[in-house]
Amino acid sequence: MDRPPNTRPPQAVVSVRNLRMGYGTRVLLEDASFDVYPGEIVVILGGSGSGKSSLMKNLIGLHPPLAGDVLIRGVSLVRARAEEKAALQRQLGVMYQSGALFGSLTVLENIRFPLDRFTDLSREQKNLAARMLLQTLEMKQTESLMPGELSGGMLKRVAIARAMALGCDILLLDEPSAGLDPVTAANLDLTLLSLRKNLAVTLIVVTHELESIFAIADRAIMLDPISRAIIADDKPTTLRDRSTDARVHQFFNRQPDEQRATEVR
Amino acid sequence: MASSENLTLRLEGRITAHTATSIWGSALDTLASYPDRAIVIDASRLEYIDTVGVAMLFDLGRQRRPAGASVVFQALPPNLASLLHRYDPAEFAIPIPARRHVGVFEHVGRSAVAQLRLIRELLGFLSLCGRALMRAVTHPATVAWTDVLDVATEVGAHAVPVVLLMGFLMGVIIAFEVGLVARQFGAIIFVVDGVGKAMLRELGALMTAIVLAGRTGAAFAAQIATQRVNEELNAISTFGLDPIEFLVLPRLLAAIFVVPLLAVLADVVGLFGGALVMASTFNVGYLQFYSQLLKAVTAQDFVLGIVKAAVFGLTVAAIGCHRGFRTGAGPASVGLSATGAVVASIVMVVVIDGFFAVITS
Repeated sequence: MDRPPNTRPPQAVVSVRNLRMGYGTRVLLEDASFDVYPGEIVVILGGSGSGKSSLMKNLIGLHPPLAGDVLIRGVSLVRARAEEKAALQRQLGVMYQSGALFGSLTVLENIRFPLDRFTDLSREQKNLAARMLLQTLEMKQTESLMPGELSGGMLKRVAIARAMALGCDILLLDEPSAGLDPVTAANLDLTLLSLRKNLAVTLIVVTHELESIFAIADRAIMLDPISRAIIADDKPTTLRDRSTDARVHQFFNRQPDEQRATEVR
Repeated sequence: MASSENLTLRLEGRITAHTATSIWGSALDTLASYPDRAIVIDASRLEYIDTVGVAMLFDLGRQRRPAGASVVFQALPPNLASLLHRYDPAEFAIPIPARRHVGVFEHVGRSAVAQLRLIRELLGFLSLCGRALMRAVTHPATVAWTDVLDVATEVGAHAVPVVLLMGFLMGVIIAFEVGLVARQFGAIIFVVDGVGKAMLRELGALMTAIVLAGRTGAAFAAQIATQRVNEELNAISTFGLDPIEFLVLPRLLAAIFVVPLLAVLADVVGLFGGALVMASTFNVGYLQFYSQLLKAVTAQDFVLGIVKAAVFGLTVAAIGCHRGFRTGAGPASVGLSATGAVVASIVMVVVIDGFFAVITS
């Protein structure tokens, strides 16, 4: 995100410090560090198997890193005790790839679920807040539907609404546009941009949909499974047009491996 | 903070889902206390507001008040003002549509229709299984015998300990319960007849089938249901393979071959359990037990038990596979299929046992 020179950056909402990530002896990422600032839309990308979703699990505290730290507004998520950790996790709204809506609850009940559990609001107040969220995400008149009755795009939007219900201003989305048609995906991109504009939400989005990346991202952080490192962290258009790293250039310009291309042609 | 005409409500700090309850309540109270005064809601000191806070502002703004006593927002950040503007109070006045309530009679009717449909589907499935079994008999080379052996190991060998325990305890219990009554009539030796007939004709096969329903029927249903949810069944079909032959036939064959063997084990340990009780409690020696047993039971009893075991095995395996095939979508349906398979298997086994009892009487 552009900041005027010589001004102190605001406090990062999410910071990753010297993170080593992986499972057992299999290391996916070594010594990774980056910060996400308020109101930014940061995309985490990389080829299949580069550890994007695993990094997200580290960021939300579902899977501990092998080394290093994840800070939420300056507080360590890794070293936090169970109760502190739960409080930190409640600051994060998470949309899982499949939506992960509760199948036995209606759309409205799904969104109301965190409000029911963690606030003293009256039923009418919770219903109003949940319905307004649904409308913000362009999902009018779906309150009484069950998750099984929703299309893929609707499911993801309800999942975003549920992630935001508790007033989380840091949203982490795992592949929001995967499996959606181009129009639905483009509309979802607009929804994300409007959330940032209207509610000052910070978004960390795991995706490898190039069009979506160019549409929404202020910054793209690219992971590489072979060097097990962050190989790029900049504006997507800068990475596309000016990156000197062949892997980054290839990804952002959607180029196949040269040798394969020659063989096929 | 009241001026002569306007009343100003000043919002300060952070209004979030966790802090909104009291602010929301007291703001509504204030509005209700001054029904005739114009209210200005001053947001100049507002630091942060989340979705619940926005809902609160909207709720305050939509309150019905007489002309001249309206609620006006002041110093609202432009993004919030435009967001609030997008919501139409009329839309939120419409009650949330309730899901249709299903009455008792409708529920009973639907369940009855569902059960009938299930039975019809099961019959269709059984006829497919029958055809696959016939093909296996006429063309045994087409059967994947390594798969059959794998399933047989899981269904048979791994079930031996629990079948032995159940069979042994059955023999012990029958001998003990019947023995206590028979002793009063001086007919203790006939307990051997009871234990022999009961184990060989009924309980060996029945107990094995019940163990099988819990262990194997549920496992078959869950395995195939998971494969269906993961679209593996579609993948098998698109390879031009028949899911019945590929997945069901090995399971049916394994069950038909292995369950009678398990039933024989149950018979033997059941008789041993009976003999143990007779010898230790009722002074009937092992040799006496053996000679009385030979007089009491016939080869027919033994064969009947074995045939029943094979039929029970086929039934449990077929119902397990059928429940797996007809599973719904989503993770909950796998569990439901497994439970349904156990219940349906046990009921069907008992019903079939009843038929056998009538036929052989």
